[in-house]
Amino acid sequence: MPISGKKVDPTVVEKDVATVRSTISGREVELPAMWNRMFEPRVLTETSAEGFEKLNALPGAESLEWCYGCGKCVPVCPVDLVGEYGPRKLHRKVQTGTDLLADPGTWLCTTCANCLRVCPKEVDMIQIMPAVREAAIQEGNVPAELQTVFESTFRYGNALGANPRRRAAWTRDSGIHVRVLADDPHPVDVLFYVEDYWSYHPRGQQAAKAFVRIMHSLGVDFAILGAEEKTIGDSQRLAGERGLFDSLVEQVSATLERYEFNRIVTPDPHAYNALIKEYPKRGHTYDVLHYTQLLAPLIPKMHWSGTIEAKVTFHDPCYLGRHNGEYDAPRKLLQAIPGLELVEMGRCKETAYCCGGGGGGMWLDSFTRDYTSERLSERRVREAVEYGADILAVCCPYEVSRFEDAAKSTGNEDLLVRDIAELIDAAMGHGE
Amino acid sequence: MPSDTVAVIGGGPAGLRAAQTIAELGHRVVLIEQHHELGGRPIQENYAGITPHGEPAEPLLRRMAELVTTNPLAEVRLSTEVIGVRGEPGDFTLTLESVAGTETLDVGAAVLATGFQHFDPGRETQMYGYYEFPDVIALQDLEGMLKEHKVVRPSNGETPKKLCFVQCVGSRDRHIGNEYCSKVCCGVASKEAIEVRQLLPDCQVYIFYIDMRMYGYWESQIYWPAQEKHHVQYVKGIITEVLPKGDKLIVRGEDTTMGRPMELAMDMVVLSVGMEPSAGTRKMSRLFGVAQNKYGFVRAASSPLDPVSTSRDGIYACGAALGPADLEDAVSSGSNAATKAISFIRTRNAVAEGRDAVVTG
Repeated sequence: MPISGKKVDPTVVEKDVATVRSTISGREVELPAMWNRMFEPRVLTETSAEGFEKLNALPGAESLEWCYGCGKCVPVCPVDLVGEYGPRKLHRKVQTGTDLLADPGTWLCTTCANCLRVCPKEVDMIQIMPAVREAAIQEGNVPAELQTVFESTFRYGNALGANPRRRAAWTRDSGIHVRVLADDPHPVDVLFYVEDYWSYHPRGQQAAKAFVRIMHSLGVDFAILGAEEKTIGDSQRLAGERGLFDSLVEQVSATLERYEFNRIVTPDPHAYNALIKEYPKRGHTYDVLHYTQLLAPLIPKMHWSGTIEAKVTFHDPCYLGRHNGEYDAPRKLLQAIPGLELVEMGRCKETAYCCGGGGGGMWLDSFTRDYTSERLSERRVREAVEYGADILAVCCPYEVSRFEDAAKSTGNEDLLVRDIAELIDAAMGHGE
Repeated sequence: MPSDTVAVIGGGPAGLRAAQTIAELGHRVVLIEQHHELGGRPIQENYAGITPHGEPAEPLLRRMAELVTTNPLAEVRLSTEVIGVRGEPGDFTLTLESVAGTETLDVGAAVLATGFQHFDPGRETQMYGYYEFPDVIALQDLEGMLKEHKVVRPSNGETPKKLCFVQCVGSRDRHIGNEYCSKVCCGVASKEAIEVRQLLPDCQVYIFYIDMRMYGYWESQIYWPAQEKHHVQYVKGIITEVLPKGDKLIVRGEDTTMGRPMELAMDMVVLSVGMEPSAGTRKMSRLFGVAQNKYGFVRAASSPLDPVSTSRDGIYACGAALGPADLEDAVSSGSNAATKAISFIRTRNAVAEGRDAVVTG
């Protein structure tokens, strides 16, 4: 090869892959991007497009190959802000020979749908992720903590592995009588589908109690399924357990078949998502509302006995907002509360950040820690504080505990995390 | 009385369409082609299919030529070159040379359709080894193979398992002097990539690029199907150099997405060479006295709204003589130059006869 007129024989220099061993997991992690330059250059020496052939055989996973690398997804991917991630990077990994079915990247996506919102090629992670995860599970590649949740859901009908008979235990000290349909099966207007975290998590139970007191004071005719309720299981579906979800659909729809009600109201945007999108595909159609959608039109009937003098910011749940387009109902409720000042964070509504709990992320915190610099919930809490909020308001049962933990771990104990139902309940003077 | 004839120099797609248009509008046209057949680059360089849809090039070009050769107002001079131009706008006398000797031709206007040539990858500053490695070829070399339905490694006759395209060879390069984008190579490479995938389904095909430039409908006509239907792998990151390793070629570049170096083994490397003005374009520009731009293409006098008029009245240019052009551009500007030439002659006649002139551009 002529260089400056002299023939110089070229040589190929190959260098080893730079890796570090995680002190937490013991796993060898390949160093991506800028970090590997601090070690030996990690030269990509082999590629194979076989990864796409494998994905293209999975219904729903085909669109990853459509990525043309514009990179719009990366800055909006909540995981990329705390690690090296994003659909574009996953595409490139598969293009260079990574088997996604055996790759940790398969479990980091929270299916928040922010990438799909901006993707010009409609690379659809909401379809890709459950398809790839289902295949990974079949190959035996599933994080242990997630497997535990699948087993609990299968055995007990809830993700927490709690006793199904104690599902309605929270009602006892709610201060009002909560009708359980099995005991009192006459027709009801609102079937309140409590879901797992409002049924069992202590902070969720507080919100559940607040919500039933609000409904009671507004004269809403409602009842719950009690011990007959099982989780809708949408996050299990998105985490790859379609079979489990399908079986839950059969069980839940059979239970619902037995009672007469006008509409289902649930606090869980994930359950809401499945009931309005997945259930009809399987032949079960219901009138479904998120609890904020039930309450917002009833604001004129609310009697306030106090004020909440605080700056409150609101975190849009991915599955209420981006996935299903409801941004107004929670805000109307917050703005109706006397004294309350609503402060929007920079990332809100369509552009809202993700708490990290969706798509199975709720049950992968330990797994995710190896690949991220901090939790998504921690990132979000710091944003709420930056915007001067005293209270971070939420309306997804996953979020109270996630954000309260994050407020503590980031040293922002002064930031209160409250469900919207709790704020309304307090301002209406019900108290506990 | 000066001649109403228009001379078209060059019998490629642009020149053929110019000649066809002139004849169809009722003027005598003489099409002068230095080679022994019409059709230009697509015929001389054995193009398999034309971009974007990949229809076989040869029958389409033969049909274009027929529309000229069968028109009684058109005269075709093959294996003929223009060696002299005298006279002034509206009354030129060309000296033509062929094996039969020299002769003169009086014309009222002329259209330069002298086209481009493929960038010679031996002139590259990048180290792609076009002349060193038999398995490094250029777009038009692969066209020839595709036309024969036989894509094999020139070094050993084996079917390639991995083949890649390297974009922007000889284009967008200050060092080389070609600072322009050659406009068609992204589409042509993608079209050829589809054809390779169809011919050799087991061959993985990669395209290494700086940025994909798929104009207009080419995005959905070529790029997206190449990726989504034919599974061509597009990799953001240009190849800097090609090195030999055993019987493979190592392409070295940056994996831009992941920010790391790559050194990948390929069986064949196709250089997506750009366009340069052909020798004919350079020579005819000088002979006809029209200004060239710094790259040697004919300079359009008032682009963008009049892209075919040159610095000299009565002389028009079309196709890739004006700069990188795809076939749509070439035939569009061919018709455009034809009508400009005719309107120039009619205006000349009108002025001579004392009638009101039609507007000339």
